[in-house]
Amino acid sequence: MGSKSQALLFHIQAECKTTRSRAGLIKLPHYSVKTPVFMPVGTQGTMKGLLPEQLEELGCEIILGNTYHLGNRPGTEVLEKIGGLHKFMSWNRALLTDSGGFQMVSLLKLAEITEEGVKFRSPYDDTEIMLTPEKSIEIQNCIGADIIMQLDDVVQTTFQDYDRIKEATERTSRWLDRCLKAHKRPSEQSIFPIVQGLLNKELREKSARDHMTKNVNGFAIGGLSGGESKDQFWPMVSLSTGILDKHRPRYLMGVGLAIDLVVCVALGVDMFDCVFPTRTARFGCALTNKGQLNLKQKKYETDLNPIDNECTCSTCKNYTRAYLHCIVTVETVACHLISVHNIAYQMRLMKTMRENIEKGTFPQFVKTFVNELYSDGNVPSWVLESLNSVGINIR
Amino acid sequence: MRFIIKHASCGGERVGNLTGFAKMKTAVIETPTAALLTQGGSVVHLTVDVLSKVFTSPHLLWVPLSNSARLEIGVKAQGEGIAKFAGLQGHVTCATLHNASEMTPPGHFEANFVPMWTKNGKKMITADRYMDIMEIYTPDILLAIADSHITLNEGQKRISKSVERSRVLLDTCVNRYVNSKRLQDCALIGVITGTGINEKCDHCIKHLLTHKEHLNGVALSGMTDGSEESLKIEKDKLETIFKSISESIPSELVKFIEGCWTPDIIMTAIQYGWDVFDGSYPSKLTNAGQALALNFDVDKNCDELCLLDLNDVRYKEDFRPILEGCECHTCKKHTRAYIQHLLNTREMLSTVLLSIHNLHHFDQMFVHARRHIASSTFDVYKLHIVKQYERYKQQVPIESDSEKDKDTVQTAKKICVSNDVLENVSIFK
Repeated sequence: MGSKSQALLFHIQAECKTTRSRAGLIKLPHYSVKTPVFMPVGTQGTMKGLLPEQLEELGCEIILGNTYHLGNRPGTEVLEKIGGLHKFMSWNRALLTDSGGFQMVSLLKLAEITEEGVKFRSPYDDTEIMLTPEKSIEIQNCIGADIIMQLDDVVQTTFQDYDRIKEATERTSRWLDRCLKAHKRPSEQSIFPIVQGLLNKELREKSARDHMTKNVNGFAIGGLSGGESKDQFWPMVSLSTGILDKHRPRYLMGVGLAIDLVVCVALGVDMFDCVFPTRTARFGCALTNKGQLNLKQKKYETDLNPIDNECTCSTCKNYTRAYLHCIVTVETVACHLISVHNIAYQMRLMKTMRENIEKGTFPQFVKTFVNELYSDGNVPSWVLESLNSVGINIR
Repeated sequence: MRFIIKHASCGGERVGNLTGFAKMKTAVIETPTAALLTQGGSVVHLTVDVLSKVFTSPHLLWVPLSNSARLEIGVKAQGEGIAKFAGLQGHVTCATLHNASEMTPPGHFEANFVPMWTKNGKKMITADRYMDIMEIYTPDILLAIADSHITLNEGQKRISKSVERSRVLLDTCVNRYVNSKRLQDCALIGVITGTGINEKCDHCIKHLLTHKEHLNGVALSGMTDGSEESLKIEKDKLETIFKSISESIPSELVKFIEGCWTPDIIMTAIQYGWDVFDGSYPSKLTNAGQALALNFDVDKNCDELCLLDLNDVRYKEDFRPILEGCECHTCKKHTRAYIQHLLNTREMLSTVLLSIHNLHHFDQMFVHARRHIASSTFDVYKLHIVKQYERYKQQVPIESDSEKDKDTVQTAKKICVSNDVLENVSIFK
């Protein structure tokens, strides 16, 4: 089963002989994206104070927009008039939008989910709005991202009621059909179904198998990274990637911590997104291979090193930890500087993984990475077990 | 630092070069010019990376100590001055005590101590302490510490105090400056205050000039306390001040003006030979969501507003750049509609894009001014700019400034009381 439409072509360029990881190229209408890839989140058509040009310089090839927010502001009318989000925000590379469903449930306490869709009160003008699968696709068609998401029935990951999880999983499959039917621009945009089932093996397996029968160009793995333990998390990822066919890209939603990225690439995931690198930047947290630096700490007051000696980003080239220490959480420039570094860090990590997969040295890379991150030797058991499941023995 | 006058007209306006900076040997700052306002050592809202997309040549940075005091320990540890520490070593720095356009609570003086209002509240500082920090910051240009954050309309007693205190402060500054090895490459600028009363101001200037051999220039202060109200000064009165003070200063000294003056007033100051302005005006516009859109072509009659308020919903579907033909990164890539959206959603990119445009455009206003002075057509240019600004003022009813000022003072007082760094930084809420 290959790609059915020209809206997305996926070429696997190298496969790891030990793990399930692979390096590939996703050809999208606006850009060809090298995988595995991390996609920074630009919720409202902008990436936390960074210029689109800076994102290009950082090597970002695809970024995310949130349908719920963009549908409200600037709204579909404006986006339609200018010809989509790419033009509106001056971003010429690839875009992905979510369905809007997640925001409804997480932001709005009054959301009510029925077979028809998600009913909620607009926080902007208090009117009652129904977000149906058709409406979500209509808005996403208007935004014009290269990859768009089906509306899924979202349940909190740690939710325990089997009947509700079952209902949500099955409804997600029904809504997928409605989304595919409502899709007006299949030659320019690809809808990804979302594998649901939360932490329930049977339901998740059934969800993945259902989606496999559909004419789609790639898959998303949802319902994870929502407060569950890592021991519960990784087997669900592994289960999903084990079923989803390897000729189409697999996107794990909401995951972006370095160790999670490394493990999940080993488990066969190609795409990731997370607000974490830019959100944590606002609080003065910088990412490195040795862990996170909280630049607010007094110990950085006279530290004249860059955040990371090995990093080539403009922040590390021009600024010391001591300077950043002075301005974090005080000046907006500090957010910009640490966001630049954190996105550069994510990009560099993905690039390093890609190169190692291509060279056939991915397992060695993983070992080095894990040992550097947990230099005290206390590697969490879930990391050992998950990597062991794909043939990497850290010890 | 050397100040070389390249062309001076009989009217008073002149073009010159600031050169010979020890840290930036090749840097030439052409005057008249405006500095770029910094906050915490960085040009407001812009990283070095983005700043390099706006300006490729060295610019003058305005570094108020009040918003950069917390950098002291780090600058000292590095030992290479404020510019290098803030990643801006490609530029020239001018340090001063306060940002003159920021309102601060009145009073709070103690013998030999000047109040410095920071985000962490009030800090009392002596002239010696100020010079200690300057020895660490080693700016290229240094404004003497003064008690000059007052309006033209202050009472006689306050103005006398201002002049008297500033005299003592200057003496200490000069004394420290002359004996400082670390500041030997730094240019010292004396601060003029007492501007509200001719006689007091004369005293101040006379005293300044007793130190003339150590001064590279003067800075005109004592006209505004940062409030909108204090900036509303009758045209004639302003002209008299700019003219008479300028004439009493030897022409070889470079002349600075502090304060958030609008383009029409800046033109008048340039006309009377004032050379350097602080960069608070474009930064104030940016923070208010406004964009400057002056037309610089004197042959063109321009009916468009020279200031756009991009918060206005009228720009929601306006897919034009801020200013047609503008060469800045923002105008080349982005639309009014996008900036309106960013402001509406309180996204940080709004101030980045507006800063890029406003700094570029404000700088262009000076580029054109220099060109016109050199070709002796400055009067035409001045009229062209003043006309546009006056048309804007007529068409856009300005909201009550005294209300705005009240808010500013309230905020300043709150900061003073609470000592909370984060309180005033809404983006982190």
